[in-house]
Amino acid sequence: MTPEAHNDLVGLTGSASPVAAGERAARHQGGGLVRGAGAAARAPFTARALRELLFCAVEVPLGLSFLVVPVALTGLPLLVTLLVSGAHPAPRQAHPAGAGHPAGLAAFLGAAVLTAAVALVVLAPRIARRLTAAHRRLAGRLLGERIAGPAPIRGGRGPVSWLGATLRDGPGWRAAGYLVVQVPLAVLGCYAVVIWWAAGLANMTYPLWWAGFRNHPPSVQLSPVPVLTPFGVLHVATIAGTFAAFAAGGLMVAVAPWLTRAVVRADLWLMRGLIGPGRLERRVADLERARALAVDDAATMLRRLERDLHDGAQIRLATLAMNLGMAMDRLAAEDDQPALAEVRDLVGAAHQSAKDAMTELRDLARGIHPPVLDNGLPDALATLAAASPVPVRLTTSIAHRPSQAIETIAYFCAAELLANAVKHSAASSITLTVTGQAELLRLRVTDDGRGGADPAAGSGLAGLAQRARTVDGRLEVTSPPGGPTQVTVELPLHA
Amino acid sequence: MAAAVPGLRVVIAEDAALFREGLARLIESRGHQVACSVADGAALVTAVSRHQPDVVVADVRMPPTHTDEGLRAALELRRAYPGLGVLVLSQYIETRYAARLLEQDAAGIGYLLKDRVADVADFAEALERVAAGGTALDPEVVRQLVRSSQQHAGLTELTPRERDVLALMAEGRSNAGIGAALVISASVVEKHVASIFAKLRLPPSEADNRRVLAVLRYLQP
Repeated sequence: MTPEAHNDLVGLTGSASPVAAGERAARHQGGGLVRGAGAAARAPFTARALRELLFCAVEVPLGLSFLVVPVALTGLPLLVTLLVSGAHPAPRQAHPAGAGHPAGLAAFLGAAVLTAAVALVVLAPRIARRLTAAHRRLAGRLLGERIAGPAPIRGGRGPVSWLGATLRDGPGWRAAGYLVVQVPLAVLGCYAVVIWWAAGLANMTYPLWWAGFRNHPPSVQLSPVPVLTPFGVLHVATIAGTFAAFAAGGLMVAVAPWLTRAVVRADLWLMRGLIGPGRLERRVADLERARALAVDDAATMLRRLERDLHDGAQIRLATLAMNLGMAMDRLAAEDDQPALAEVRDLVGAAHQSAKDAMTELRDLARGIHPPVLDNGLPDALATLAAASPVPVRLTTSIAHRPSQAIETIAYFCAAELLANAVKHSAASSITLTVTGQAELLRLRVTDDGRGGADPAAGSGLAGLAQRARTVDGRLEVTSPPGGPTQVTVELPLHA
Repeated sequence: MAAAVPGLRVVIAEDAALFREGLARLIESRGHQVACSVADGAALVTAVSRHQPDVVVADVRMPPTHTDEGLRAALELRRAYPGLGVLVLSQYIETRYAARLLEQDAAGIGYLLKDRVADVADFAEALERVAAGGTALDPEVVRQLVRSSQQHAGLTELTPRERDVLALMAEGRSNAGIGAALVISASVVEKHVASIFAKLRLPPSEADNRRVLAVLRYLQP
């Protein structure tokens, strides 16, 4: 759904987040009726309504087209049989008991139709997969509803295993089910498009071309013009009547988008349920994604670690060794007096390099695993909060201790979020709340800064969200311009 | 201690500022001149064309990609300036990099671990050797190359002592240098070298560099 379309549907669509729904409800208390009427009046002319109309209009023939398959499969042998028996009348006399005989013909025909019917049933999953792919593409192209296709059929090298795989193809059978269930929906769609949209628009034209009938002499009695409405056919014989037709048409066009939308909704619901991936498939896809993220995350961490060591401690130690080497070189020289100042300088530089290397190694080690985390999350977070340059109010209530992996992720999320708040928000105080319930660890960082944090723009928040997803957790950001920023991380207690 | 080849003009390419400054100081302390110090591969190529140095000291890993731009710049410079000595420094030894460096010619090529700068005299000697068209390979490079060509029939015939001599020879040392390192006399070294050449079926040669070349070609994986 595009944002622009979402705005058109204020008050009619279900809202994803309870917060947003609350805000919307509050807005609706004043002027809700006027707004609703305005939205209804604009509804037929929005881009979304037109796309839905188009979708509906294409879904009708597409949905009914699958009926052609059984007709073709059974009708074709029928046709062939008739043609064969009609084209060769001579063998009929030669073989009175053969295919030419009316009873034999009927038997042959029956066998052919039966074979076709069996073939239809056996091939149904594969045919349905092809046909539903067209439905999916249409939904994606016109409505932006991306419905993932089912996994391809497994197996099927030899003819027997091919047949077995086809018959056992659950997603294919579900797709076939969709095609059957979609037929009444296609009929309903046809009704919405033809009766409400087409007839409604046609009715609105009546006053325009009525003038054409005015050229008749007054004595001529005009036969009434039929006006098609959903509640029957009106007959209009006067100019006033054409305005009644116009009004009826206007009402029909005003209602049509909502009817179309209902049909489209029902169709999409069916698609998601029957031709989208099943719950298990979705779960597998989620887990595969999470695993890929976890592997990526680990690889990224190792690469960063190597880079930090290479550019940090290693180079400092190399510099330290070089300075000491030069100092030794100087001390080995014969005339020791003038070299003393230089040696002091070199040893001083080496000393500084050693201290820097120690600091870097300590930071690096702590970055890998903060030792205080072994005492539990509350202690580790208290240390973290105490080190923050902006005052942090910390509340922790964790009934059951999460697993180590979860504690580590929670800790690094907290560290990154606090650092973000200090760096970007210009906050004067930060609240860090951690609650551990039966199954869920919730970590919330709120600051009173300037807000406007965008998870899509900054790689930091995106990285945290990715990390949370590796364990089926999630991260939610609310940060309106002007603040306050609130970031909530929810993690399961055990990965 | 006086420099053997005084007054070399050197260009340094190294992205870590502290280490770069230390290197410049070390090289100047040995009586050479650092014409220019740069922090990435592209700047190195430009600096060489402007200053026409005798030898280049280049880090392998530099911005922007932090992979092997130093090495690539070194290879490019070797092609453009055949007489230029190139000493490549790295925190790790990669056999693949060594093979790429030595692909065409081992003359005027050096590949050392950064650790080696701690032994100032050895490092300076290696730099001077490379500038003079010799070779300076890190013992680690030699060890890895030897290990990767262990399957070669000739090497298994060598005695442990001969292997030591071969390794030092591959680093680019002269007979005198090998003798000093192993604390044996020059005549004993010569005997070992002759025996190695015989076992590896290489015709003996007077020049150090050709000798290293031959050994390296033999050692290459």
